[in-house]
Amino acid sequence: MSSSQEDLAPLISPSSVALVGASPKQASVGYVILENLIDRFRGTAYFVNPKYDEVEIKGRQLKFYKSISEIPEPVDVVVIAVPAQVVPQVLEEAGKKGVKAAVIISSGFAEAGNKELEDELRALGRMHGVRVLGPNCLGVYNAFNGFDTVFLPAERAGRPPAGPLALISQSGAVAASIMDWAARRNIGLSIMVNYGNKADVGDVELLRYFERDERIKVITVYVEGFKYPGEARRFLDAAREVVKKKPIIAYKAGRGAAAQRAVRSHTAALAGSYEMYRGLFRQAGIIEAANLRDMFDMAKALATQPLPRGGRVLVLTDSGGMGIQAVDELEALGLEVPELPESIRRDLRGELLPFSALGNPVDVTGSATDQHYKVVLEALLPTAFFDMALVITLMQVPGLTQNLAEYLIDARRFRKPIVVVNFGGSEMVQSFTKSLEDAEIPTYPTPDRAARALWALYQYAKIRGVVRP
Amino acid sequence: MSVVDRAKAEGRTKLHEHEAFELLRRYSIPVPDYGVAKDEEEAVSLADKIGYPVAVKVISRQIVHKTDVGGVVLGIADRGGLVAACNKIRESVKARAPYAEVEGCLIQKMVPQGIELIIGAVYDDVFGHVVAFGLGGVLTELYRDVSMRLVPIEEEDAWEMLREVKAYRLLTGYRGTPPRDLHAVVDVIVKFSRLLSENPAIREADLNPVIALEEGKGAYVVDARFLLGGD
Repeated sequence: MSSSQEDLAPLISPSSVALVGASPKQASVGYVILENLIDRFRGTAYFVNPKYDEVEIKGRQLKFYKSISEIPEPVDVVVIAVPAQVVPQVLEEAGKKGVKAAVIISSGFAEAGNKELEDELRALGRMHGVRVLGPNCLGVYNAFNGFDTVFLPAERAGRPPAGPLALISQSGAVAASIMDWAARRNIGLSIMVNYGNKADVGDVELLRYFERDERIKVITVYVEGFKYPGEARRFLDAAREVVKKKPIIAYKAGRGAAAQRAVRSHTAALAGSYEMYRGLFRQAGIIEAANLRDMFDMAKALATQPLPRGGRVLVLTDSGGMGIQAVDELEALGLEVPELPESIRRDLRGELLPFSALGNPVDVTGSATDQHYKVVLEALLPTAFFDMALVITLMQVPGLTQNLAEYLIDARRFRKPIVVVNFGGSEMVQSFTKSLEDAEIPTYPTPDRAARALWALYQYAKIRGVVRP
Repeated sequence: MSVVDRAKAEGRTKLHEHEAFELLRRYSIPVPDYGVAKDEEEAVSLADKIGYPVAVKVISRQIVHKTDVGGVVLGIADRGGLVAACNKIRESVKARAPYAEVEGCLIQKMVPQGIELIIGAVYDDVFGHVVAFGLGGVLTELYRDVSMRLVPIEEEDAWEMLREVKAYRLLTGYRGTPPRDLHAVVDVIVKFSRLLSENPAIREADLNPVIALEEGKGAYVVDARFLLGGD
């Protein structure tokens, strides 16, 4: 297929939608998607179901069309939620109308042994120039324009706010739970695409689409396994290009199983399928997440922080114990935690409390004030000695105030990555965290997670070739 | 006709070791000097030409694991030793693999001691050819300390494959051992990748061991195994 941006825009960011299988029956798939569209879609939605003419739903009179061909205006995408056997007929009708894309929610295809029926969809899509997402998928969630084919009610599966992240997910259930989780944490996951059986549109083209969408800063990918011959190489070639523009973070589930093939050589015994994916990710310059939480911990930093020019981290803390944990993690990840230069140490001594520890970590102690953090950051972060900062602010100590957030936000002007560890549940901690997150300073409850976020920034800086030699 | 095509034409799914060496040589992958001898007389004159010490390995399409049937003798220092080795292999193979038709012997120059590596490949429908790199020996398997990359592999990819394994430090000089010729190892990986992409019939391959000598002295494939499949 040619220019995938052109091809996939009607699928992911349509301005008009026809929902075939729309239903006024609450709790049905056809109803939930209808509700998504009338509640949030900022475009034109048409509803198709020959059983109805006009129905009042949520205080609105909705017209139901008998078929797609009856719709008077052009349609970008058709969302199909009818029994499998009827899907080819609907797809053909959509093709004849000139619809550019179809999201096939319906199941009962290759996943249920009906490979022929799925092949038929693929062939029909090709014949009529309709790009097919699915079948057997959740489809698309797009917070930018409210296009949402996720058939799980919004009150059960939250919808995240618009923001810099996109998710490509092989699993529908995993995608829905990530969306719900992200919504509760106010994580800006703008677009989610789940391709189900992947009869046509898959990871490779979606990567290419998100590469060109300027609003997306980080692409996250949940993969269980590729299925088509040569697909891994195509994914590698696409990802290699995409990471020159924006980071890709992938999480591969299913790590234990050895590849299902006859093994006669020594190498084959060593080459489990997970090792192949790991090799593929590294070759492509994709950052591999250890789990889903790790994926979004890293994504948050990559979406907001500048890239470091080296791997030297300043650790600034009001808790010695937390500082040591941070250093342990940073060093285990291959980052450096160098000592402070003597000249700066001498200057700082006059500005901090006498019992502060002027090593790395710099421990301003439990008697610290906001001002101490400010002084240390200003003395050290803009110097050639450090490339990024991990700041631990246990707000439980009495000398710290909400004002510290302002100092940390102000330190963004040094154009070096800053991540903050902030642990606890009091109202003050929550509002402090919110101030930082709103100002795009990522916060984490534990030092290991903050260290991983810096590691991800450093990895991506290396991938982009911006690390100083 | 390439050795791969010839083996396929003969209905074989495995290359003989001298064919494997021929294939490696065609891609300028260093192998120790070698030759095929039909009898003892040829063996002696070959070894004179190659120079001692040499190794002798039996060639037979019926024998899969040469060592198991006593078909390999290493570190032969002179003519006398060579003649004795040829006799020993003949007797041992006759006793332990009486069904085997012996086509001759491979005479191979011994490579000096170095660090043993394994560079291998598998073919997977979804991934295509994938190359694996690790240190030889049982620990590699135990810790799954291997790095893998999809073919084609560029020079930078190959360097990363080396650096990625935990055993990398052994190659750069660890506790007084000399650093190894890493450029030569990278070179083998990149050329091996080209060999694979130009020979899609290869399903599995083991270059095991590849001996990495000290810096500047190269890396040699000492034993090679290629399994072929339909394409």
